[in-house]
Amino acid sequence: MNIKKRVAVVGAGITLFRRRLKESGKELSFHAVNMALESAEMTRDDIDSVVMGTAPDAFDGIHMKSENLLDGAGATQKPYTHVYVGGGTGVFSPIGGWWHVASGMHDTCLVVCEEKMSPCFPHPQTAFRTIWDPITSRPLNPNLVWIFALEMHRYMKVHNIPKEHIAQVAVKNKGNALDHPSAQLGAKITVDDVLNSEIMVYPVNRLDISPPSDGAAALILASEDVARKYTDAPVWLDGVGWALDSAYWTNRDLYYPQYVEEAAKMAYKMAKINDPPKEVSFAEPYDPFTYKELHHLEGLQLAKKGEAPKLTVEGVTARDGDLPVCPSGGLLGVGNPIAAAGLMKCCEAFWQLRNEAGKRQVPKAETGVCQAWGDLMQVGTVCVFKRDS
Amino acid sequence: MSFDKIRDPRKLRHQIGHMECDYVYTAGVAGERFYLALREDGKLLATRCDKCNITYMPPRMYCDKCFAELTNYKEVPLTGIIESYTITYFDMDGEVLPEPLVLAFIKIDQTDGGLIHTVGNIKPESLKIGTKVKALFKDKAKRTGALTDIKCFQPA
Repeated sequence: MNIKKRVAVVGAGITLFRRRLKESGKELSFHAVNMALESAEMTRDDIDSVVMGTAPDAFDGIHMKSENLLDGAGATQKPYTHVYVGGGTGVFSPIGGWWHVASGMHDTCLVVCEEKMSPCFPHPQTAFRTIWDPITSRPLNPNLVWIFALEMHRYMKVHNIPKEHIAQVAVKNKGNALDHPSAQLGAKITVDDVLNSEIMVYPVNRLDISPPSDGAAALILASEDVARKYTDAPVWLDGVGWALDSAYWTNRDLYYPQYVEEAAKMAYKMAKINDPPKEVSFAEPYDPFTYKELHHLEGLQLAKKGEAPKLTVEGVTARDGDLPVCPSGGLLGVGNPIAAAGLMKCCEAFWQLRNEAGKRQVPKAETGVCQAWGDLMQVGTVCVFKRDS
Repeated sequence: MSFDKIRDPRKLRHQIGHMECDYVYTAGVAGERFYLALREDGKLLATRCDKCNITYMPPRMYCDKCFAELTNYKEVPLTGIIESYTITYFDMDGEVLPEPLVLAFIKIDQTDGGLIHTVGNIKPESLKIGTKVKALFKDKAKRTGALTDIKCFQPA
């Protein structure tokens, strides 16, 4: 592989995540970008190019919404690219930024993700009802929670996983989110709270699901030589990987996300990680639903197949455990403005690796893995971040 | 294989679908100020970046150029200059409109931006680029806090 420049992260920014925010999508983008610029002590003039990531335009209700957001993202009259792989977008966007810098094309690239889901009525879920194949699936009038339920049930059955173990993910992540200043749903809850919350679509209870949200996040990438000008503590984006499976999700076994494994292997190889459970000090896998965190830990090779629930129950994935998982609070706790939620995970990796995560700080943060997932259960996107050892 | 000769695709194997989302778009921080001023006071508000010497119309909460947050809202005149215009004679269904509709980009005085709006009370043939126009507001009771609170622009 011919990578011309090592890529650093030099700044990060994030807005509040809330069910409905007063700011427009442009204004949300502005706040996230402004915070990232300030944290890097940069101005808009220091930015060579901008990558915007958003999930379906149908949430904001503006077709070509990335063009609409452009000025709020600080991209006026700059090279600007929109990237999109559904729910996987938030971790795919830094990969888009990485292309710009690693190729030697640009010294700096600003990565922005925005989602404003509150305009969509009767509910943002409505927008998901048209992602299905119109001939083979839509006649049954499916919604997104259906497929999650089918996948979750299959995962539980194959590994004989009790729901109590899965519910533990909601307890952990909502608890972690209590320490995140942007969080929408930080809470101290119990496993029983999850099990007793209403069943949405069996076996998915209400507290297994992340909320719809408004929010934005931003990350600033720079080539190694330029990064050193701005900071003594760059964080390195040393591995990127992504893979997509067919939209025929009826033609694979839902118990395991093979496409996440492919993406992770690509990223680990690039980052020269040979033994992920040993070398990764914390992880931010995508957790729009409780079981997804577990599913993805296995896909990321951080737990053996079927063993992620056990790690959770034993406290290994707690913030003070051997492998902290979603120390941010994840989508379940911080909230899920889709693309921005994925990038929130990369912001968290940046803060953790700089020892700037405050109460959320995990001990011995050397290497962090972020992952997002989406489209029709078919995409895995992975970034590996490291600090100078 | 071509289906060109089949005018009605419902004669083929098919499914009927529709995309059922509806939207409520809120105005945002700068938009809230702008539209409230329209409705309550019949005024146009702009934001100002002193550093870049730019007055934003419609107002924005940040400067496009230096990216500073803008909190300085100022009232600007209700007048402007037609920078460009077009006249439309048909509606969306191709029917002839009872009156031709004039749409213009109006650069608002003392700002660096402007509004797209309709121009009324003028014969289309006497329109000129460079014509000075002024916002004509609806009666206060009929205003809703939207761009249409300005009924149209008319010669000043």
